[in-house]
Amino acid sequence: MRIWHIVTAWLRSVFLRGRREADLGEELRFHIDRETDRLVAAGVEPHQARLQARRTFGSVEAVKEESRDARGTTFVEHLVRDTRHAARRLRRDWRFTAAAVLILGLGIGVNAAIFSVINAVLFRPQAVVNPDTLVDIYQNAPGGAPTGSSYAAYLDMAAYTDIFVGSAVTFIPHPVTYSDGGPLRQAIAENTSASYLSVLGLRPSLGRWFTETEDTLNAPPVAVLGYRAWTTRFASDPAVVGRIIRIDGIPVTVVGVGPANHAASMNFGAHTDFWMPLRTLVTLSSAPPGMFERSVSEPAFMVKARLRPGVTVARAQAAMTSLGSRLAREFPKEDLKAGISVFASRDVRIHPQMDAILAGFATALLAIVGLVLAIACSNLATLLLVRGAARVKEVSVRLAVGATRAQLVRHLLTESVLLALAGGVAGCVLAWWTMRWLSTVDLPVVVDFSIDFRVLGFALALSFVTGILFGLAPALRSTRVDLWQTLRDDGDVRASGERRFSLKNALVVFQVAVSVFLLAGTGLALQMAAAGRAQPVGYAVDGVAMLQTDARYVVNTPADQPRLFEQLLTRVRAIPGVQAATLTRDLPMSVVGLRIAVDGSADGPTQNADAASIWAGPGFFETLQIPILFGRALDARDREGALRVAVVNERMARRYFGAANAVGRRFRIEPRDGDQWMTIVGVARDTWTNDLGDIVDPVPYLFFRPIEQSKVTPTTVVARSTLGEAPLVRAMQVEMRRVNERLPVLTAKTMRQLLEDSLQVAQGMAAFFTGLGLLGLTLAGIGLYAVIAFAVTRRSREIGIRMALGAGSQQVVWSVARGVAALVGVGTAVGLALWIVAVLVMRVAPVQTSGVANIQFYQPDVDPLAMLTIGLFTALVGLAAAYVPARRAARMNPLIALRHD
Amino acid sequence: MSDQTDLLQGTLDLLIMRTIALEPLHGWAIAQRIQQVSDEQLRVQQGSLYPALHRLEHQGWIAAEWGASDNNRRARFYSLTRAGRKQLTTEVTKWERLSAGVNLVLQRT
Repeated sequence: MRIWHIVTAWLRSVFLRGRREADLGEELRFHIDRETDRLVAAGVEPHQARLQARRTFGSVEAVKEESRDARGTTFVEHLVRDTRHAARRLRRDWRFTAAAVLILGLGIGVNAAIFSVINAVLFRPQAVVNPDTLVDIYQNAPGGAPTGSSYAAYLDMAAYTDIFVGSAVTFIPHPVTYSDGGPLRQAIAENTSASYLSVLGLRPSLGRWFTETEDTLNAPPVAVLGYRAWTTRFASDPAVVGRIIRIDGIPVTVVGVGPANHAASMNFGAHTDFWMPLRTLVTLSSAPPGMFERSVSEPAFMVKARLRPGVTVARAQAAMTSLGSRLAREFPKEDLKAGISVFASRDVRIHPQMDAILAGFATALLAIVGLVLAIACSNLATLLLVRGAARVKEVSVRLAVGATRAQLVRHLLTESVLLALAGGVAGCVLAWWTMRWLSTVDLPVVVDFSIDFRVLGFALALSFVTGILFGLAPALRSTRVDLWQTLRDDGDVRASGERRFSLKNALVVFQVAVSVFLLAGTGLALQMAAAGRAQPVGYAVDGVAMLQTDARYVVNTPADQPRLFEQLLTRVRAIPGVQAATLTRDLPMSVVGLRIAVDGSADGPTQNADAASIWAGPGFFETLQIPILFGRALDARDREGALRVAVVNERMARRYFGAANAVGRRFRIEPRDGDQWMTIVGVARDTWTNDLGDIVDPVPYLFFRPIEQSKVTPTTVVARSTLGEAPLVRAMQVEMRRVNERLPVLTAKTMRQLLEDSLQVAQGMAAFFTGLGLLGLTLAGIGLYAVIAFAVTRRSREIGIRMALGAGSQQVVWSVARGVAALVGVGTAVGLALWIVAVLVMRVAPVQTSGVANIQFYQPDVDPLAMLTIGLFTALVGLAAAYVPARRAARMNPLIALRHD
Repeated sequence: MSDQTDLLQGTLDLLIMRTIALEPLHGWAIAQRIQQVSDEQLRVQQGSLYPALHRLEHQGWIAAEWGASDNNRRARFYSLTRAGRKQLTTEVTKWERLSAGVNLVLQRT
């Protein structure tokens, strides 16, 4: 109640100020009149009575002031008055205001845009009923870090019904293609247990969720549309329920539409388009049925469970810990023996390990864009300092008539905060535009970057802090005035004492330095891309092209698919100029990480060794020109029914078999392939994968399996030709249409394009740094211009005297240019020095991501050429900023300059 | 003038509230009433009367309303609010305790 009273009093003081002032005046007037009346009635002569009444009353203004103060609303009243005053002044200097709002808008806009992405990924909460009683459960990797859970372990967890009311399991979201009669499109699918939605406490918004019976092997596939997919991809058509669409070529019945407020099981802003039963993975994604069988070591699933009322997370953790030790006892070979972790679901966004990486990444990103804001801030501080110096006289006069310094500082700060808030609004508009533009880009993943109250709050807080940050120093500086000196004559007095290391100069140097630092980041990213490009990948790139399709869209019986690809391969081999062609699955040199067991150690098979696999058709090594070091390549002998074979790379041979020549040794895939051993028939030279941007594991332990010895169907034909890659791509498409007109084209590109595409991250990084660096340098240029222009005005008398004494315009220009060169030179030097330090730090401490990876092939380096380029570029900006003021100085008429005032 | 007592800090609030407890009054009348009732012993300084009135109003203990005065002019009349009445009771008790204490000290020493 009391708070309410104060707030209404404030509001009244803001909006009814005029009326209140009038009331107060009238009240006091009435008092004096009444007193006069009394005195007259007592016999005093009217004129005397009035005088006496006034005298006894004392100063009316003082009483008014005290009455206002007594209300405790003076603070608000002053704020309103200051704001009005500031707004009036900003309107008068509209050019300055526009420039300032633009500068701040850019600075705050970039930050708000980046923050809205981070908000979507890290902060926006997930809609779940009673998030307090929902937990995520993970089996731990050796070392104790949570990974995923095996399906069998999930069943064991779910059996703790005294702890959990319900439990659900999901598989990692993965990309699929789909067609609703029309052309093929990309989408994201997620497979879950039938219990998923009810464990979260949600309901489908249309139709139904899938059932337990639909989550069995060989059940006809069904799917629930994600709500976002329904509204954007299916035009919110309710008739879609019951319709059959093709996902990855397989006919799937749509049975419902998911809840409106639930995007995905992993909460990072991406939306799942299709929800499907777990076991559809076998039908659609050729996942081995064995992944659902009794084996505790394949942690491919994520488990969510709902706690029973009254059960705490700690109790659930205790139960799972005991389960962990039981599994370790019962499955001494298969189990990872590292225990089980339980997390409250609200503490997990994507995955506990992933979250930590993302948080670090987000912090780094904000720090980088924060640099741009720092530039914008110091820029405005520069402008305000210049403006403050020009306003010395105004300040002096106000101080002389009795304003306190605190009042003046408050006025100036109000002005800068007002500016910053306007800049914040501009920034939000800018961020909103950027995000709207982003949402029109057709990304395979729909991420909701929309701007919500969190982003607005961030922008508001940023504006406020910014306003005080860039306003404080100039406000303090420009109110520290020597009254007697400034008022005495023309306000030029301080020009002679202009210091070389003034705050203005320091700020400009800072801006240049930070911009240079950001531009150097571009250099690093480009260097990374170049290092990737220069890397000898170890397989043929020149003349190689690929064509990826999905035969399931045209052939309903799986057995017919190999025949289709055989026809295609024969036709492609017949294209003139083609030297070799082969089949593979996915894009050539894409790898799938697997776990293997190695035969032949004295103490039984080695468990849980990491390796990566590639499906190779006939002629694979010939087409990609990968040399075989020992044994033979895969060929026509390796058909179904023959001895199961594989070719491994040198690195894998050395790592797991102790010698480069591992021909004749055996290994098997864990746990999916049961007891089927593969015999190594050849060792190939090490190659890279097709991901040049992969700084984690670019040369994995790799083995090649003959695609004919599996139920897996090929998707891609790869060919090498002497007649150029681009014509080859076209010719292959023509041949594919001849095989079957309806075969969809998923990928048709050259090997070079594929490798170039894998550098997108590095190139995106380069573009990001370039954008920020250029933005910073533009701002720094504006600051530089302001400082130089001001200095020229300040020195006009000095310049006039010099010219009058015979200095040529060249000498004058030179003296201006010297100032610019000093500022830009020092700024560039500081920025580059900072960069060298950063590079040295990076070299000493290689980037560690979650302990599994370190940068092994790429060492950041100081690139002298990049430094030179940046230096020249900054010099150019300095030149542009100095041009106008220097010209003005050179054209100065000494007579006018000397008369000045 | 010199025989009139300066008001103790805080007692003005008490006197104002006590005075308007009977009927709403405007500022001038409040000052007059205090003067009369105290047999001209207490004189309210105008300089402190109005700030006190506005402070009390801001605190919600008294409320102001425009009305017609005895000479038929618009005047601001102050009256006690419900919270003000409660406050007055506590203030009076406090004052009685204080004056009784002061009297005791003066008599026994």
